[in-house]
Amino acid sequence: MTLLILAASIAPCRAAAPAKPQPPPLPAEHLTIATVGPKSPHWVYVVDYAYNNEIDSRVWLFDGDTHRRIGQIDTGFIPGINLSPDGKTTAVATTYFARGGHGTRTDVVEFNDNNTLGKTGEIVIPPKHAQTLAMLFTIGYSSDGKFVYVPYLTPATSFGVLDPAQKKVLGEIDTAGCTLVYPWGPNRVSSICESGRLLTVTLNARGKETGRTTSEPFFNVDADPVFAQAVPLPDGYAYLSFLGQVHEIDFTQPKPAPRTPWSLVSGAEKGTWRPGGVQVGAVQRSLRKLFVPMHKGGDGSHKDSGTEIWVFDLKSHQRTARWPIDTRASGGAVAVQVSQDQSPLLFVATDKSHLLILDARTGKLQHDEKNLGQTPQLLLNP
Amino acid sequence: MKNLDRLVENSARSLAKRTSRRSLLASLGQILTGAALLPLLPIDRTARAQEPARPSAAEQKCEYWKYCAIDGFLCACCGGTSTSCPPGTQSSPITWIGTCHNPADGRDYIVSYNDCCGKVSCGDCFCDRNEGEKPMYRLSRNNDVNWCMANSESNYHCSVSVILGVAEK
Amino acid sequence: MTRAAAALAAAWAGLLASAAAHGGNPAQDYVLNCMGCHGTGAQGIPGKVPPLANALRRFMRTPEGRNYVLRVPGAANSALSDEQLAAVLNWLAATYDTGAVPSQLAPFTRSEVATLRHQPLIAVLATRKAVVNALAATGPSPPSQY
Repeated sequence: MTLLILAASIAPCRAAAPAKPQPPPLPAEHLTIATVGPKSPHWVYVVDYAYNNEIDSRVWLFDGDTHRRIGQIDTGFIPGINLSPDGKTTAVATTYFARGGHGTRTDVVEFNDNNTLGKTGEIVIPPKHAQTLAMLFTIGYSSDGKFVYVPYLTPATSFGVLDPAQKKVLGEIDTAGCTLVYPWGPNRVSSICESGRLLTVTLNARGKETGRTTSEPFFNVDADPVFAQAVPLPDGYAYLSFLGQVHEIDFTQPKPAPRTPWSLVSGAEKGTWRPGGVQVGAVQRSLRKLFVPMHKGGDGSHKDSGTEIWVFDLKSHQRTARWPIDTRASGGAVAVQVSQDQSPLLFVATDKSHLLILDARTGKLQHDEKNLGQTPQLLLNP
Repeated sequence: MKNLDRLVENSARSLAKRTSRRSLLASLGQILTGAALLPLLPIDRTARAQEPARPSAAEQKCEYWKYCAIDGFLCACCGGTSTSCPPGTQSSPITWIGTCHNPADGRDYIVSYNDCCGKVSCGDCFCDRNEGEKPMYRLSRNNDVNWCMANSESNYHCSVSVILGVAEK
Repeated sequence: MTRAAAALAAAWAGLLASAAAHGGNPAQDYVLNCMGCHGTGAQGIPGKVPPLANALRRFMRTPEGRNYVLRVPGAANSALSDEQLAAVLNWLAATYDTGAVPSQLAPFTRSEVATLRHQPLIAVLATRKAVVNALAATGPSPPSQY
């Protein structure tokens, strides 16, 4: 109270002007913790590997309607990140060194509550989680949320089976050189092989292997390899190839069953227009549309960012739209994701660290968020 | 390090000129020893202290021909060169392989992209090129994984690009 | 050299030469597909990558050992064709052993590779342990640990 009186008496003098009544003093403030707010279908989790400071990667939760950062999840060094099937948890497989940038390596799977963005628990795993490009397949859940799968790379390949409820490692499954985890149903995990095949392992309720099958090769590794970053479908996964073939695999069958491949490009376009980037496709399930960042380039351009987003009808396999990106203003597309609600938004992360938000039906640019992270390359939407 | 490079390059060049590898193998008619293939296989170049690095201007640029499948920070900008890790780091014993065309002599060379490990990201001269690069199921040609993974200190600092020999068709 | 041994030596040389004559280059195939992990001297990495030097040729002494070699991840799911894989393995066996194994050792054939490689092992380390133990009882064997 004394302070306030003192302040009032040191008010600067003004000659000849009529005295304006001074506004009442500001009340004392209270420091609180912001809440996440009600879950929205227009949320997007933006994974930032922070290449220049790789031990310091993080995920931004961004609101596609208010265009505001809701908060951050820290994710360590070259993480695998995914959402639980109910959307309530973000699971992160990552590495920490005892002295920051060096020292004993510890790998963990950390669980974050998406309602608070607070860490709720961890499982220490063998120090061999696969450290690679930002992908949807470097950690995964079973469809019922009972198992978490983490691919290991030493460089030998295998994957860990974890119990997220009990917070423990149930076991490890050798994958014969095949890599990553493509989960399906409550107890099946597939991995993709250099031979062009899919290995599929079935587990029992305790996470132990009960059997495995290997598919026939469904693509040619030398002539037209597929991106390991598959695109989730309602009934399986689609693997896009460097030259623009779409290999849809039906996972609802007893064994993963490839459908007849179809092409993103016409005969004239093939070899010139190519899919590319990091997260190379997203499917809007009700509209049955596939969104792909496309660029013009040759061999070796499979990671080039997209200058256009091409939209395809999953039923007819026809291209229904081409949406150019203002790459000079925003950069090229490295990742795409789409919301699954009635007013779907298309999210595009660029190589200039922008996040573009488009109307997924018309392609109209609603918002260009500059500088969302350092190297945003993977987008997750519950 | 530079002299060793020249030795390997000269051997590979002269071998390629004099006789094709195919006819060499056929005419030998006996079991080959490792020594006969010295020009192709790299001598272990790690673990020896070197003189201070003097990278050329060319090897500090992403467009340098040897970097055709590199992914990461160029060690030549981080205190090393294209064939030496910066001081205080360790080279990765496992690597990915690329085949790059040298416009100066018209040959394709097999190149080993080792990572240098044990320190945080160099952060300078980031370069990501992917000629002949393949996804991680084809591990020997993949530049996405952390090739420091098998080191005792597995943080990633930067990448080098070391000629192994001339690529045969 | 006995006639049988001479015949085998001829088979080895013939196979390597034939691989080369058919446009194959096992040394280069090794560099492009295997050397990145197994190393410049096929020495592997302790605790992480098994050695092929002073190991592969010893596995080839018995049917179980040959079966193991053709079904390990690096062989079973390699992008190399059956013929290329046979040539690379034979070249490695010929090049990277101190000669502890007697020369009466048949090289891998394409059909042997084709028959076995498409049944990759499920538990690699456990199988290796069993095979190496059996080999150690009867002659030169690969290291039990790496």
